[in-house]
Amino acid sequence: MSWFDRFKGNTPSPSSQGAPQQDFAGSNAERQAEWESALHHHRLPAFVKQRLSDASSGKLPWISTMTPAELAQTHRYKVRPIAMVSGTCWYHYGYSWTNGHTAGWHQALKRMQQEAVAAGANAIVDVRMRKINLHVGASMDFTVMGTAIRVEGLPPNPEPVVATVTALEFMRLLEADIVPTGIAIGAHYEWLNSYSWANLDAKGGWINQPLTELGNFWERVRRKALLQLRQDTQRDGNGVLAHTHFGELLKVEEQNAARYLGRHIVIGTVVDSKRYGAVPHDIRHVVDMCDGTSPMLEERQHGHNAYDTNQEEGSI
Amino acid sequence: MSDGTAIPQHALERLKGLRSEGHPGGIFTSDFSVNEFLLVRKAGFEPVGLCVGSCIYHLGIQYSSWSQNQEMNVLSQAMYHARELAMSRMRSEAESMGADGIVGVELTVKRMEWDDKILEFIAIGTGVVHAKGHPGYKGHNGKPFTSDLSGQDFWTLLQAGYRPLEMVMGSCVYHVAHQGMFKALGNVGNNTELTNFSQALYDAREIAMERMQHEATAVKAEGVVGVDLHEGSHNWQPHIIEFFAVGTAVTPITTERDASTIPDPQLVLSVNN
Repeated sequence: MSWFDRFKGNTPSPSSQGAPQQDFAGSNAERQAEWESALHHHRLPAFVKQRLSDASSGKLPWISTMTPAELAQTHRYKVRPIAMVSGTCWYHYGYSWTNGHTAGWHQALKRMQQEAVAAGANAIVDVRMRKINLHVGASMDFTVMGTAIRVEGLPPNPEPVVATVTALEFMRLLEADIVPTGIAIGAHYEWLNSYSWANLDAKGGWINQPLTELGNFWERVRRKALLQLRQDTQRDGNGVLAHTHFGELLKVEEQNAARYLGRHIVIGTVVDSKRYGAVPHDIRHVVDMCDGTSPMLEERQHGHNAYDTNQEEGSI
Repeated sequence: MSDGTAIPQHALERLKGLRSEGHPGGIFTSDFSVNEFLLVRKAGFEPVGLCVGSCIYHLGIQYSSWSQNQEMNVLSQAMYHARELAMSRMRSEAESMGADGIVGVELTVKRMEWDDKILEFIAIGTGVVHAKGHPGYKGHNGKPFTSDLSGQDFWTLLQAGYRPLEMVMGSCVYHVAHQGMFKALGNVGNNTELTNFSQALYDAREIAMERMQHEATAVKAEGVVGVDLHEGSHNWQPHIIEFFAVGTAVTPITTERDASTIPDPQLVLSVNN
C-alpha cells in the first residue's frame, strides 16, 4: 500500500489514475469569481483568509521557507513561522516599461503584505522576487513571496515588515539594531533625440574621444533612478542596500536620425537603523581548509529570479 | 511496491546484505558528501543504502479553453501521481532495507526524447537507521520518514528539536487564459495591470500551497520547513504552467527543546581569500 491510499481508503490498481489532491475551495468558476472580486476590492478571497488564519491559530501546520538552521535560530528569539505568503501582479507596459516595473513590484508587495496581515504576522522574511517564464506581449508578472513570522509577545503588525534577507540574517540584523523593513525601487527612463547628430556618434573612426552627450545622458538616467530609489526608501527606513541593478541603453534608428532610449532600474532592501550603532558580535577569523569551492566562499543563492533567466530543464 | 508486485528476490538479498547488523561485512551505498556523512553520524544515524524509486509516466490529454483560466486537472493529477509512485517505490525500498528514513531525497523530472507526453520521475535518497535502534524516528504510521534535507540540515533540524516526517508536496498545473483581441487593443499605450493573469498565478499558487498543507495535516505535522515553490513547464504549450510546492513536514521531538539550549552560531570570516 502506498501512503496516498490513506486519502482514498482503497487500494489502487496499477492502472489507477491516482487520487486527486485535496484542496479547500469549490469549483473553478467559484474560485475565479472569488479571485476576481477580491482583486477588484483589494482584499483576499475568503478561502485564502481562512487558510492563513487557521495557520496562524495552529489549526493548520505552519509553512516556512526556512532551513532547519534558521528554524533553530528563530526559536531562540521566540520567533515562529506562520505561513508562506505571496503577492502577484501581472502588469502591461503601455507608455512605459520602466515605470511599469515600479508599479508592478509595488502592487505585488502590497498584496503580499495583505496576506501577512491575514496571518497576523509581524514581519515577512526571506522575501524573493520572482517572475514566470511566460511572454505575453508587452507585459510581465511581478511576484514576491516569503515567510510570514510572528514574534512572541508582540501584537500583530498592521503593516508587516518586508525583509528580503533570510531568517538567519534577519535575526543577526535585529541583534545589531538594524531592521530590514521593505523593498525600494528606483526606475527611470528617458529618450535622447539626436538633433545634434554629430555629438552623439563618433566623428570619425580614427580619433580617441569620449561621447560626451551620450555619456551625460546615460549618467543622468542612472542618477535619476537612484534619486527615485532614495525617495522610495524614505517611506520605510533610513537606508537602502541596493542589490539589483539593471540598465539598458538602446539605439532606435529612424529615417535620417536615431533616438536613444536609456532605462535603469535599481532595487534594494530598505533598512532602518541607528547611525553609529555597535555590532554586538565578535568575528572570528578562520582559515578555510576546504579544497575547491568552499561553502563559505560560494556565492549565495538569493532566490530572486526577476532579472535573470529561469531554470527549466531538470527542474522538479 | 505500491501496485502490489513484490521486489525481485535478488534485489531483496542485495538489500538485506546492506544492513550492517548481523552482516559485519555489509557495505552501505550513499550519495552523501564526506561532510554530510559525518553530520548524519553525528546525529546518531548510519546510512544503509541508496534508495531509488522511478516512474515513467504517460501524461493524459486535456484540452484547455483558450480564453479561460483553469486548472488542468488531468495534468495536475498525473504530475502528482507519478511523483507519488516514484516516492512510494523509493520508500518501500527503504522499508525492506530496514531504514528508519531517507534523507537528501532528490526529485527530478526528465523528458523522453521520443515522446513529449512521456516523463520520467526519479526519487533518490540515502536510507538511514538510528545507530542505537531508537524506534522514535520513523515517519507517520511507522513507515520510514522522507526528507529533502541534506545531511547537514538533518543534523541541524534534530538540534532544533524537530524530526522529519515526510516530504510533502502540492502540484497544480494551470492554464493561463489568453487575452482577447479587444482587451489587448484597449490596453495599448496604457500602463495597467492585467488582472486575469494576476488572478491565474494567484489561484494556481494558492492551490499548490493548500494541497501541500493538507498533506502535512494528514501526517499530523506541526509545520513544514524548507518549502520552495517551483514553476515549470514540461514541454507543454506556453500558457500551461505547473506550480509545485515541496517541503519537509516536521514534528517536535517528544518535548520541545528549551530554546536557550540551541547554541548561538559564531560569525566567522574566511581569511584565505
